[in-house]
Amino acid sequence: MSILQIHAQPSRTTVWILSWFLFATGVASYFWVSRGRHLDNPDDRVMPTLRQMSQAFSDATLKPAEDDEVAADAGQQSLLMKIRKSMLWKDTMATGRRFLISMGLLFPAVLLGLHMGMFPYVGSFFLRFVLFFDKIVALSLLPILFIAFGIDELAKVMLIVVGVAPTIVLDAFNLTRSVPKEQIVKGFTLGAGDFSVTYRIVLKQIWPRVLNSIRLNLKAVMLFLFAGEMIASQDGLAYRIALLRRHMGMDTIIPYVLWVALLLFLVDFGMRTLNRKLHPWFQEA
Amino acid sequence: MATVRTAIDDKVESAIKAPRVETLALICIQDVVVEYGQPGKAPKRILNGVNLDIHPGEFISIVGQTGCGKSTLLRLVLAEEMPAQGQVLVEGSPRTQPDRRCGYVPQKYSLFPDRTVLENITFGLEVTEIGLFGGFSPARRVRRQAFQSDAIGYLRRMGLRESDAAKYPHQLSGGMQQRVAIAQALIMRPKILLMDEAFSALDPGTRAGMQRLIKDLWRETGTTILFVTHNPREAVILATRVIALGRTGGEDAGADIVLNLSVSNANNEPETAALVRRVEQSTFPAGTDLDEASAPEL
Repeated sequence: MSILQIHAQPSRTTVWILSWFLFATGVASYFWVSRGRHLDNPDDRVMPTLRQMSQAFSDATLKPAEDDEVAADAGQQSLLMKIRKSMLWKDTMATGRRFLISMGLLFPAVLLGLHMGMFPYVGSFFLRFVLFFDKIVALSLLPILFIAFGIDELAKVMLIVVGVAPTIVLDAFNLTRSVPKEQIVKGFTLGAGDFSVTYRIVLKQIWPRVLNSIRLNLKAVMLFLFAGEMIASQDGLAYRIALLRRHMGMDTIIPYVLWVALLLFLVDFGMRTLNRKLHPWFQEA
Repeated sequence: MATVRTAIDDKVESAIKAPRVETLALICIQDVVVEYGQPGKAPKRILNGVNLDIHPGEFISIVGQTGCGKSTLLRLVLAEEMPAQGQVLVEGSPRTQPDRRCGYVPQKYSLFPDRTVLENITFGLEVTEIGLFGGFSPARRVRRQAFQSDAIGYLRRMGLRESDAAKYPHQLSGGMQQRVAIAQALIMRPKILLMDEAFSALDPGTRAGMQRLIKDLWRETGTTILFVTHNPREAVILATRVIALGRTGGEDAGADIVLNLSVSNANNEPETAALVRRVEQSTFPAGTDLDEASAPEL
């Protein structure tokens, strides 16, 4: 039987092997090439070995950043305390704080899209402007944002808002418009007013799709956040990666990149699980 | 071709000509014109000067070919659409937007997918009695329980089980969904119930059951019902009056009422069959295949 058949039904074992094959091949290829490079040059910094990366990651999770002061009683601190004062923890917290503020600022974008879709006057007022803004490459605004808002947190958060909010607004607008007219009319005939229909019928119906849309835009959020951190920041995961690049610190950069990927995967998984738990009707329907 | 007049035909004729007892009309449709237009194109006329009075407690079926404006007429009464000319009065006043005087059961999307059956039925009561932000006080909780027991009563009346109350719409069959939609509308005790091809997506057996149910409910509640269907037999079986829409002045002229037939005095099958024939002749031009339009027996 050919493997290129639409109705092919691979066994569970085959699916498991196929889905992990590229991961295994990639990791194996890396360490094979890395070993070759280290045989040629034991001081090679481009492709660190597993032992080097483990050591660097251990340092990142247990030791403070080089630019931080080391406490006098550092040797007697508990493991938890060491982790909480570590470079990785500090960077993760800084990036996480910016990420959460940005996500919080996306909620008004959902409400704006909802009202644009429901109320023709609001739609007429904002739609053209948002469509125009959506076409602006957010990174090109970075210098303007730094000039206008300084190089503090606000500029970085604004970059994310400017980069992602128009997409979320337009998505919420389109989702609102796609709610069947019958549902809205039905709401009115059951005694609901304009705002009851908007919040209790339409918002409730589009909310799981909006959450999905935000989830799918997570990577864009992180992209803008990293751009801001790399250019102007004193802490954060991207700041650390940019800083270590100058010292060819690949033994720390690679674990950091994998850590960021793991965090994004967990946020994505968390949002999917939350969506499923909060809206059981959505997945099944 | 010569036609043989029968006693039933005479009875049908007299039913058409019989003067109706004039009461104050609940719905008054006066010289209504509806046109749909696109920028740069001449508007297309859908309804052309329709006049119709509907009295409290009537069961009106609206029939006609596809695209002749049946649903448009319903949407005018619902105030989902406004006429280009003329006016629609409900209880003597013009309508500006849909309100709870009219219950509505569409063919599709009749239930809120994010709410269980019980939440769907109690939605109207919750939104009107409790409001947008008042759902947490103890007194409101007691009211909510009262709504729920009321809704369970309606659920049983619709032939559904109590265990269905916790299900979501997508877990119900089409017939069950429409039963819930009718309960959802009736619990608000509307003066008018508007049904837009509400049974057309159902299989013949379910459809016959739904026809019996709606007729019984109409007898019990006395709610005025406007029932849009493309099925002449269903129209005659259910209604007290059948309104047929058709285009007499060509495709561009828009539709008008071509038949306004009282059918409440059909007592047996031959009389019903004659009325159905009469509706078919008015609604569908000669040569139309009516097999698809045949309705199941009640």
